[in-house]
Amino acid sequence: MLKFSWPKLVIPLCLSLLLFLNACAEQPSRYDQVQKETTGKGATPAVSKDSEQGSSFNKFFPKSSDGFKVIPAQEKKGFAEYKVDKDGKNVAMLAISDTINNPSAAEKFKSSTTKIGGFPAVDQGANATAVLVNGRYQVKVLSRDPSFTRDDRIKWLEKFDLRGLAGLQAFLPPVDSTIAYAPSIPSLV
Amino acid sequence: MSKPIFKIVDELPTGGLTVMALKSLDKVVPGKWDNLVGFDNTIRTVTGETDEDLIQQIGERAVTLFNDKSQGYQRALWLYETVDNASGLLGSAALANRIGQDTFLGFLKNISPKPEKAQTIDLSVKLVTEVVAFCQINGIPGDSLGDFIAALTSYSGESFLRMAALVCFDGVIPLGADFALKGLSMIKGMNPSDLEGNQTFKGVKDLIPGNNTSEQLGFITESFEATQGWMNNLVSDNNITQQGLVNNLTSFIEVSKDKLDYLAAFLDMTVKYYYHTGVQTLARRLIERAVAEI
Repeated sequence: MLKFSWPKLVIPLCLSLLLFLNACAEQPSRYDQVQKETTGKGATPAVSKDSEQGSSFNKFFPKSSDGFKVIPAQEKKGFAEYKVDKDGKNVAMLAISDTINNPSAAEKFKSSTTKIGGFPAVDQGANATAVLVNGRYQVKVLSRDPSFTRDDRIKWLEKFDLRGLAGLQAFLPPVDSTIAYAPSIPSLV
Repeated sequence: MSKPIFKIVDELPTGGLTVMALKSLDKVVPGKWDNLVGFDNTIRTVTGETDEDLIQQIGERAVTLFNDKSQGYQRALWLYETVDNASGLLGSAALANRIGQDTFLGFLKNISPKPEKAQTIDLSVKLVTEVVAFCQINGIPGDSLGDFIAALTSYSGESFLRMAALVCFDGVIPLGADFALKGLSMIKGMNPSDLEGNQTFKGVKDLIPGNNTSEQLGFITESFEATQGWMNNLVSDNNITQQGLVNNLTSFIEVSKDKLDYLAAFLDMTVKYYYHTGVQTLARRLIERAVAEI
């Protein structure tokens, strides 16, 4: 006859419980791959030492006007961002970033069919519109409230000093031949 | 290797003492805070985007930025974590078991309330930590001191609530509604050795500007002076009183009104509001930058 022994049963039960709990703790994430690539030795840094200083972007941002308040938000190497508030509520974000730190950001402009201020423009997702200046500097306006529409985003992109930004020294070869450089200043005739 | 940022944000609690204490502030400063947790959920809420490919791109850039130590995000997280841990005296797990039990008040008797001086140092060190963490996360935005102050004072959401919690839990409850005045005069009368003996200061002193404790005390005093007006306004604009705060907290913590110093010590031990809202601020800023850079 088969003898039933509790102690013998307890050990495998505990082991399987342990395995089960471990499996729960190690649930895979959609970010596991990027986590692996960006940690440990040999990981590529998020920001290249060759990128433009964020502070050099400040002067190209639009200023507060028409009841919209433009407030500095972030400034890191290769990146500067401002909030746009109306009646104390955040309605949009304005950003300039150096795509040397994230080249795929410049790639998306290859499919651009429109221009804003003479530079290739794209819509991204539901709430962002961007232009690429000199094949390198991405200027982006992001809606944070439904009242701030795509038309507003375009209007605010036009308020940036895009031509001034194009005058920054750093040039990279454009990712595509269709990328426009700074439009030439019309002669005052 | 530290924990991945997406796990840290995913593991933020939706309940427990910290969240209850923060929610109790909703009566004081209404509508300022949603307990936003979960990494993907934060991406969706902050950006308003729903496309899964786009969310993946934003998340990947945010993870990359966080993992680059030179970007300061890890240091900010460390600050928020350390300033909370250092000010607490005991593990919250052991204490949480006592909540709701008859012996809870008996247990409170075993906690020594912090003297006013230690409480004042805690408050001012946490305040300075906020300024330092702000710079680690956001850099020093703008072209002038005025720009920087505008950025710092346009706090909203969880950042605002963290400051409100600081004023309420570390200021008004232990020291009274005139805590800022009281605290500032106390700090001005302190020696560097007073700071050196304080746990909260010891926890974060390496990242406080200054070549020695004396200079660090100077920086702390200046920061306190600079923010004193803002803190006083918060108290007067929202009619914050010691009594009102205690009434809100007693909806979930049993405490008698003559034990306010014990209540402050108890909050100190159990409520990790700097870490909780700090992670939320960090996640939000990372995501705002990531969506702008992709």
